[in-house]
Amino acid sequence: MNIKSLPTTLGLVAGLLLGTATGALAEQQGITDTEILIGEVLPVSGPPALLGFAHTLGVKAAAAEINAAGGINGRMIRIIVEDDGYVNSRTVEGVRKLLTVHKVFALTSLSGAAQGLTVLPLVRDSGIPAISPIGIAEELHTPLVPNIFVVGSTYDAASEAIVRELSALNPGKSWGIIVQDDEYGSLTHQGFDRALADLKFDVAYDDKYTRGQRDFSSEMLRLQASGAELFMMGGIIAENVGMAKELERLGYDIPLGSSFVGRVPAILKLMGDAGSNLYATDYVVPEQSEKGIAFLEKLSGFLTEDEMAATNRYTFTGYIAARAMFEAISRCGAEPTWDCTIEKLEGLTDFETGISSPVSFSADDHFARLELGLMKANVDVLAFEPVK
Amino acid sequence: MRSGNFKQNVGELIALTDSKSVATWSCLLMVALIGAPMVLDAHLLGLVTVILFTLVGALGLNILMGYTGLVSLGHVGFLVLGAYGYAVTVGIHGLHPLLGFLMAGIVPAIAGVIVGAPSLRLKGIYLAITTMAFAFIINTAILEADFITNGSSGIFLPRPTMFGISFKSDAAFYWLCLFFAVAALAVTLNIRRSRIGRAFMAIRDNDIAAQSMGINLIAYKLLAFVMSAFMTGIAGALFGVYLSFVTVEGFTFHLTIEALAILVVGGLGSALGVVLGTILIVLLPEITGVLLSLTGDAAQEVMATKAFEVRNILYGVIIIGFLRFDPTGLVGIWKDVQRTWVNWPLKY
Amino acid sequence: MNYLIQLTATGIAIGAIYGLIAMAFALVYKSTGLINFAQGEVAMMVAYLTWAFAGQFGSGLIGVAVFTIVAGMVLGLVIERLLIRPMMGEPIFSIVLVTIGLAVILRSLVLLIWDASPHPMGIEAASELIRIGNLNMRAGQVFVIGLMGALLVASWAFFRYSRYGIAMRAVADDDRTALLMGVNTARVQAVAWAASSTIAGMAGVCFAALYDISPDIYSIGLKAFPAAILGGLDAVLGSAFGGIIVGLIENMTGGYMSSTIKEISGFVLIVGVLMIRPSGLFGQREIERV
Repeated sequence: MNIKSLPTTLGLVAGLLLGTATGALAEQQGITDTEILIGEVLPVSGPPALLGFAHTLGVKAAAAEINAAGGINGRMIRIIVEDDGYVNSRTVEGVRKLLTVHKVFALTSLSGAAQGLTVLPLVRDSGIPAISPIGIAEELHTPLVPNIFVVGSTYDAASEAIVRELSALNPGKSWGIIVQDDEYGSLTHQGFDRALADLKFDVAYDDKYTRGQRDFSSEMLRLQASGAELFMMGGIIAENVGMAKELERLGYDIPLGSSFVGRVPAILKLMGDAGSNLYATDYVVPEQSEKGIAFLEKLSGFLTEDEMAATNRYTFTGYIAARAMFEAISRCGAEPTWDCTIEKLEGLTDFETGISSPVSFSADDHFARLELGLMKANVDVLAFEPVK
Repeated sequence: MRSGNFKQNVGELIALTDSKSVATWSCLLMVALIGAPMVLDAHLLGLVTVILFTLVGALGLNILMGYTGLVSLGHVGFLVLGAYGYAVTVGIHGLHPLLGFLMAGIVPAIAGVIVGAPSLRLKGIYLAITTMAFAFIINTAILEADFITNGSSGIFLPRPTMFGISFKSDAAFYWLCLFFAVAALAVTLNIRRSRIGRAFMAIRDNDIAAQSMGINLIAYKLLAFVMSAFMTGIAGALFGVYLSFVTVEGFTFHLTIEALAILVVGGLGSALGVVLGTILIVLLPEITGVLLSLTGDAAQEVMATKAFEVRNILYGVIIIGFLRFDPTGLVGIWKDVQRTWVNWPLKY
Repeated sequence: MNYLIQLTATGIAIGAIYGLIAMAFALVYKSTGLINFAQGEVAMMVAYLTWAFAGQFGSGLIGVAVFTIVAGMVLGLVIERLLIRPMMGEPIFSIVLVTIGLAVILRSLVLLIWDASPHPMGIEAASELIRIGNLNMRAGQVFVIGLMGALLVASWAFFRYSRYGIAMRAVADDDRTALLMGVNTARVQAVAWAASSTIAGMAGVCFAALYDISPDIYSIGLKAFPAAILGGLDAVLGSAFGGIIVGLIENMTGGYMSSTIKEISGFVLIVGVLMIRPSGLFGQREIERV
């Protein structure tokens, strides 16, 4: 007997002894006659909970909406959230637990970009259908992973879009850019570079800062001294606030571009008047649009008042991902399986959620790229509104 | 019961333990550990795997702090270097995993020499601060050196295949970690009894006296740093393989605190203590989860969103509690229990 | 030229905050010989308490200032009484580990009691713009520079003239002899902890008023480390100057080199200082007797 077969043999013996392995495989995990278990791994504690918790609310609302209408072919959706605190090792533990202890049927989040990459092999090898709307890393969709779907837009696409849009609004103006010293930052810069290669504007200022920095006095001073007329802020929340306030102090009022990542009401509250010239691109509709208002109205039927206060754009994205997944499961009829769900997700075309452009997957593309729209901050109501 | 220690030949002197029962139990434990993947479910197996590679790193720190008395607050720096040493060799250049593990030890060991150099001049708190500064600088250095390290994009790490054995399955990877943990434990236990180990402990107890006894302070302090960094680096590589994806973000300062907690809780300078400390600290979230699930709904509500805060507070409380009430740690408690058991009903 | 002046002015402002925390480090080190690794966390805790206070009772400047001082003092005394005093006589490193444990607890407590999102501090006066010559400064920045100056003078006078100040110097010099001479070392240490926490708390509140309050502001403690080392860990006044120097170095590297270098310049500085002159610019050289 060689070493490779030893574990299998022993495992088989142990499995037979415990009498579990063979019986459990027969039926699909995570499905009972009355319930479908859906798992999520996300940061719901610590600073990144701002996005993680909002996402769970979107999924919760989507599930509540379906359950109120009788569930998925009679089965109620139950959601299990594993908290990873945005720490890679906990994400691995969380997914492991969802797969083997809770035995969920599908995953509606794989946490952030780096976390998603960390659990990629685990999720891929398990074969569970998974959809991720946050922190979309390229490896999650290219090359194609049979059971992973992503919906939304990439950081580089978002940054390219904002640079193009703002350049179109302010033709011939020079740019300044600062990015974070991580993957998010380098993607932001890539998008900027693509727009630059095409539009050939002047770049007056280009720098990189360390994650967690709070004081941007020297950087913004350099930006001002460089004479840049448009500014791409590559920070997330606290950093972008710090930059905008510093520019306000310097009295340097130029249009500020930002990605969708930190486009939450909290940032406007923190910026105050300094945020009056803040633009962003996003693939979900802004809160202050017709569709946005209607969606929030709908949400308030499923969420408590406290929960409504915690909603932001990640609630929108979570809702989209969950709806797409639930739709695919329901199209599988009375006995949904993993293979069927994946097949139905691949067959999902022009699926309308009402808060973004339609969601479409195909058998050779598991990335539903949603259209990015330009929006501007309205500091009076602390929300973003569309730019016509 | 034994009436004393009688050694009749060299073999008995060299043996790690002269107690038959300790040897028997160790063998039984070993067999149980090897057979564990057959019994445990994937989640529990994952936890035991985490315990095993954490143990390697904690034993590494123990050589420096427990044996030599040099305080390091920058051990996460060695951990991240080890992970990158392996990831760059195997993940980027596709070389043999064995070479990867070698680099995972050597790269941090070289850094250990650099970080260890100030220890010749600095003591106690000042050394602690230097090592902490090192940990911060190393992160920036890795991000900046993106031509070697892929910078912020991180490196994917497949599970290795060595000597025709694939470590792709969780069980196989567990055995790999078990192998390294046992090796690290054997090294740690044997160092103690060698000239090197005695020199380390002499330096810890009084470095000036040690020097006057003819111990070369420079050589031994650096050696302590090198050995400690080497072992920690191996743990870093295992951690990286476990995560299957290596970025700087995965190695936060919090890991240093966790390692300190392991040593304090277990009992500084004792290999058994490190083992006990590692088990307790790694299982702490599970334990708190179970404990809190016994309490009412209100507590569970808190746990739903604040689980990690509660757990971190427990970390702090446990560190402080052990320092304040039982500085000898779990190993001290274990010894007390043993003594009581043997002497009962007499006090001593 | 204006560029340099701007860099200098903002560098001094952020340096003053580092300087205050560095003073807090030095006060504890001087009287007890240990580094409080929870210094940044103490500053954060006081800032959060003050934020909660301002949210409840309004953000009148005098009320906020008085509350900050009281909260800092109480927190310092509680820590000293509960955690530090019982550890007296234990190896220094054990006590340092206790402060690391405390740091972990305080960080999580903030997240447990409040939440993880950043919030505006709510002290409007701090972010008002003041025009000095041809540069704009926030009122809070000017205030913190002034506060630092005032505290420098006060602590100089304290160590020079007050009973406690002299006792503290005696304890720092040789605690056993001081004890034999009738100095109540325990009380001196309590005073040092209270003063240290108060100063750190003020810095925390100023920082939060300028850069919003969020659970990661404890990191100013890490930034102030280099300042304390540079100034000399046992030199309270020196540490304050160390803070200004670190603030200036950060801004100069950020202004003329690159931003990533700016963030680690402090740590590079630590290593440099410790290699060349471990006792810092103003600290007393330690002489070890066998």
